[in-house]
Amino acid sequence: MAYLSMGEAHRRITDYLNRFSDAVFSQDGASLKQLLSLSANSPSLLSLADALNVFQDANRLIKQSEKYAQYGEIIAPLFRSLQSYRLGNLVDTYSAFEKAANAFIQEFRNWESAWALEALFVVAYEIRVLAERADKELASNGKSPEKLKGAGSFLMKVFGVLAGKGPKRVGALYVTCQLFKIYFKLGTVHLCRSVIRSIETARIFDFEEFPKRDKVTYMYYTGRLEVFNENFPAADHKLSYALMHCNPNSEANIRMILKYLIPVKLSIGILPKDQLLEKYNLVEYKNVVQALKRGDLRLLRHALQEHEDRFLRSGVFLVLEKLELQVYQRLLKKIYIIQKQKDPSKAHQMKLETIIKALKWLEMDMDLDEVECIVAILIYKNLVKGYFAHKSKVVVLSKQDPFPKLNGRPVNS
Amino acid sequence: MATEQKAATEDVKMDLFEDDDEFEEFEINEEWEDKEEGKEATQQWEDDWDDDDVNDDFSLQLRRELEKNTEKN
Repeated sequence: MAYLSMGEAHRRITDYLNRFSDAVFSQDGASLKQLLSLSANSPSLLSLADALNVFQDANRLIKQSEKYAQYGEIIAPLFRSLQSYRLGNLVDTYSAFEKAANAFIQEFRNWESAWALEALFVVAYEIRVLAERADKELASNGKSPEKLKGAGSFLMKVFGVLAGKGPKRVGALYVTCQLFKIYFKLGTVHLCRSVIRSIETARIFDFEEFPKRDKVTYMYYTGRLEVFNENFPAADHKLSYALMHCNPNSEANIRMILKYLIPVKLSIGILPKDQLLEKYNLVEYKNVVQALKRGDLRLLRHALQEHEDRFLRSGVFLVLEKLELQVYQRLLKKIYIIQKQKDPSKAHQMKLETIIKALKWLEMDMDLDEVECIVAILIYKNLVKGYFAHKSKVVVLSKQDPFPKLNGRPVNS
Repeated sequence: MATEQKAATEDVKMDLFEDDDEFEEFEINEEWEDKEEGKEATQQWEDDWDDDDVNDDFSLQLRRELEKNTEKN
C-alpha cells in the first residue's frame, strides 16, 4: 500500500459519507448500490478501506454531522466490515456487515417507495457471498461454519419485509433466489417450501410481473426440487421455462438447466439430440440416450457406472436408473419386430426363452422367473400390452399397440 | 504431518457446503430478449425416436444372436 496521509484519508472518508447521504437524500438507488458492494472490489471502496485503516477513528467523523449521523447505524459497522475485508478477516467482515445490513433493513422498511430495491439486492447478495467466505475461513481454522445459516435467517427477514402488498413486492423473488442458493448449498432444501408457498399462492401479485432474471433462477431451483421429488411433469414445466427464457449468452446457466432437464425428458420418453449434448458438453448423457434408442441394457449399465459420481452428486442417478424399464421395453420391441419380419403370424407370441437369450447376449443372466417378473412389471406399468400364457412360458402381446409410447408422460408408478 | 491432517479435515467440512450447480448470478440490471439461440436449445429434442427400424448395428447383432439360438434348438 502506498503511503497515505491523514489528510487524504480524511478526505476519502468524508467523500464517502457525502456520497452516502446524498444518495439517500436524492433516492438514487443506483449510486447507493455501489457504496454497498463490498465484494465487487471496486477501486473506490478499496481506497476507502485503506483510508479507514489509516484514520482508525472514523466514528468521530460520522458523529460530527447530523447529516451523516442519522445513518451511523448503517455506516459505522459497514466501515468496520470494510476494514476487516481489506485485512482479509472474513469472519469479522461478515459479522460487521450483518449489523450494517440489519440497520439498512430498518431504514428500508420506512421508505415508502421501492427506490432502494437495487441497493437492497446488493445487501442480500453480499450477505450470502460474505457468509460463504466467512464459513470457509471458519472451517479452515477448525471451527464450525455457521455464518451461511445466519445469512439464511437474515434473508428470511428481508423476504418478510418485501413479501407484503405494495411496490416492494417485485423484489421478493430476488431474495427468494438468494435463499435457494443458500439452502441448496447447506443441503436444507426443505426450507424452500415456505418461501415457495408464499410466492405461488399470492393472489395479489402475478408471477409474470417479477423480473425475468429472477423468474429464470426461480424456475431452475424449483425445477431441481421437482426432480428430487420425482414429479417429472412439474420438473419438465419449470426447467423448460428456465431454458426458454434464460439469457442465451449465459451458456453456463443453460448447461446447468439442461443437466437436470435431460434426465427429466428422458424419463418421459423424449431424447436430446446429439448436437445439444455436444454444444453444452453434456456428453455423459450420450450413452444413456444411445442405450434407450437401442434397447441396450448393457450400455445403460455401463453409462451409469462410468459417470456414477457425477450423477450421484447432481442427484439424478435414481432418475436415470429408472430408465431401465424403458430400455427393456425397447429391447422387447426390437425382438418383436425381428420376429415379425421373420414370421408375422407368430410375432405376437414371445417366448420368455427368447428374452433370456437376448439378455444373456447383453451379459445379463436371468432365469425364467426373473424374466417373467420383469415382463410382469412392464405390463403393470403399461410399457407392454399383453398377458402370460404361463404354462407355455410365452408372453402373448396385444395386436394393437403392444408397446405404448410414453408421449411425454412419465411411466406409471 | 500436522498440516496434512488439517487439510484433510478442511476438505471434509467444505464438502458439506457445496452445490456444484449453483446458478450464476445475472447482473441486477441484466435484460435480454428471448432470442433464437435460447429457442434452439428448446427445439433440439426428439419424441419420435421409438421407430420400427431394426437395421442398426445393435439390432442386426440381436437378430443374429436370436437366429443362432433358434438353429441350436
